Amino acid sequence: MKNKITIALAGNANVGKSVIFNQLTGLHQHIGNWPGKTVERAEGTLHHGGYTIDVIDLPGIYSLSTFSMEELVSREYIAKEKPDVVINVIDATTLERNLFFTLQLLELERPMVIALNQMDLVKKSGISIDIERLQKFLGVPVVPVIATQGTGVHELVDESIKLAKKGYKKPKKIKYGKEIENEIEKLVKSLGKIELGYPKRFIAIKLLEGDEEIKKMIESIDPKIVKVGEKSAEKIECMHGHARPTILACERYKVANDIVKECVVFETTKVTLSDRLHEITIHGIWGYLILISLVVLLFYLIFNFGNFFSDILINEFMGMTPAFEKIFGMGVASKLVWGVIEGLVAGITIILPYILPFYIILGLLEDSGYLSRVAFLMDNFMHKIGLHGKAFIPLMLGYGCNVPACLGCRIMETQRERLIAIFVTTLIPCAAVTTVILGLVGKYIGLTWALLLYVVDLMIVFILSRIAFKVLPGEPTELIMEMNPYRIPHFKTVAKQAWFRIKDFIYIAFPLIIACSFLIKVLDVTNLSESIESLMKPITVDWLGLPLFSGIALIAGIPRKELTLITLATHGGTTNFAAILAPVQMIVFSLVTMLYIPCIATIAALVKEIGWKKALFITVFEIVFAIFVGGIAFRLLTI
Amino acid sequence: MPEKSMSLIDLKEGQKGVIISVSGGYGVTQRLTDMGLTPGTEFEMLRKSRLCPVEISVRGCKLAIGCGVAAKILVKVKK
Repeated sequence: MKNKITIALAGNANVGKSVIFNQLTGLHQHIGNWPGKTVERAEGTLHHGGYTIDVIDLPGIYSLSTFSMEELVSREYIAKEKPDVVINVIDATTLERNLFFTLQLLELERPMVIALNQMDLVKKSGISIDIERLQKFLGVPVVPVIATQGTGVHELVDESIKLAKKGYKKPKKIKYGKEIENEIEKLVKSLGKIELGYPKRFIAIKLLEGDEEIKKMIESIDPKIVKVGEKSAEKIECMHGHARPTILACERYKVANDIVKECVVFETTKVTLSDRLHEITIHGIWGYLILISLVVLLFYLIFNFGNFFSDILINEFMGMTPAFEKIFGMGVASKLVWGVIEGLVAGITIILPYILPFYIILGLLEDSGYLSRVAFLMDNFMHKIGLHGKAFIPLMLGYGCNVPACLGCRIMETQRERLIAIFVTTLIPCAAVTTVILGLVGKYIGLTWALLLYVVDLMIVFILSRIAFKVLPGEPTELIMEMNPYRIPHFKTVAKQAWFRIKDFIYIAFPLIIACSFLIKVLDVTNLSESIESLMKPITVDWLGLPLFSGIALIAGIPRKELTLITLATHGGTTNFAAILAPVQMIVFSLVTMLYIPCIATIAALVKEIGWKKALFITVFEIVFAIFVGGIAFRLLTI
Repeated sequence: MPEKSMSLIDLKEGQKGVIISVSGGYGVTQRLTDMGLTPGTEFEMLRKSRLCPVEISVRGCKLAIGCGVAAKILVKVKK
């Protein structure tokens, strides 16, 4: 008997899957990516009844088609890796829609347990569910669960172990309409001995649906079968009078609807607090007012907290300087080591005070259900830049810090949209850039000019995202989004998730930040900075009209953009910038700083999300673009 | 006589309707039917304003649908 079991958690988005995952695995988890894909893979282990259980949290999806990467990853995992048990988490308050997915999971023919979650809300909203009956219909164990309280989680594991112990048994087949079953049978027969890892019935159904992935796979083995499938599909298309993907969806929903009719009684329809909150937060006037106040509050809180905390960290660190010099002396080697430490500190003072809180708050808002209302409110506006409502959230975060914004772009469904959203967020001036703009333009020229820079940036975002929208291949997707009822977010799950997600990012970001900081120190120590300044002269002085020493300031800004300002002061020899820069130079310098390169932490986030090549492309493009725009601005302003 | 069909977007707030068909690309059709908008399904128009998207209630869920997609969903009004 083996005492190692693998369990996969599958289910719709926002059904409490991650809460169950956290209840199961505690701190033994790892959040990373599926190999070669930017789809999140959360994995954890637990020990229960003498078993070591590996738990995989599959992404939240609505179907096993190939609409998104997440769906493809999930079905490939279940079919090919064959987890011992699949726990299908479903939201008991929207049983019908959830069962639609359950039926598809059953087609993958793995042993399955159903976690009927949110049983507390079921009672509150006046619904009663006959669990025994539901079990009979589906042919798999159904466990009532209240994930947030931990109720039923133990039973889930017990049931899973029981199933795994029994050894593999094909679950009950859910039958669809007769004409369709006939065609499925025919196709299963024609598949003969072909082995793709997927169950034959599943392949047959997917052929009828016209699934591109499956078609491609079969085509390479026996193109005849694809033709048989086409014929069958045409036949039922004719009979039903609807397009291919619709027919099987219809059938499944019919089965789901029948089950709900048999097992669920809707006693009363009560107006819940969630309904009222929904009404207000989505309202044409109140909704926007609430959104604006929340955004202001969010930024206010995070900046105050961030500044406070970051100052403490930096002070602590600066306090170490004399001690450090005592030990290592003031030589070249000491300076280089100091560079490494500075990089480390730069990383810590970005991640702990800013990125982590941003991430936690984003997680809380998402978990509560508010983000989908924000997407609803901002959809119209976001369409103007070629994206849909969901993209507003990362864009807004971008004003705080580009890193969580980039990582937050995962809420976009398709790769194409993710890429556009990520590209756009790197152009948003983050808090550090705001420091530069306010510290230079705001202080010495006036707030109007500072604001004007933001307007120019918005225009650039608008134009560039329109271009990206046109240039990138693929079908643009519009908003099709479920708005789940509001619920109280589960803080522990959110905080843990935020931490484990950031951990993965730290591995990429820290070496980069440290290396960068070290290199800048090397430039400093070897007196190379002067030669670099003169190397950059054609760009900085001739094209941008900036003073010579601004070159090194721009390079210093790569690890953290506010360092441009500090370096400007140290190399210019004064903090009174009016003495070393003309107003036009200040504007050009701020403009270039705003656009020229995503900071090193953002580049790390880009690498994590879209890979080296695209990250490099965006970085190079933005450097060239910033120089171009800066030069134009210089010429326009000096006419 | 067949009932008059119209686009989902033409329904007024509070009106109920039945889905006749969904047109558009393979992906969009798949997505909409996955979310429960299959032919014959009843729904209610919950919210519609000058600004998109629209909000409908279908199979016990609330869905937000962008106008471009909503325009491609053919429905009839349920009396």
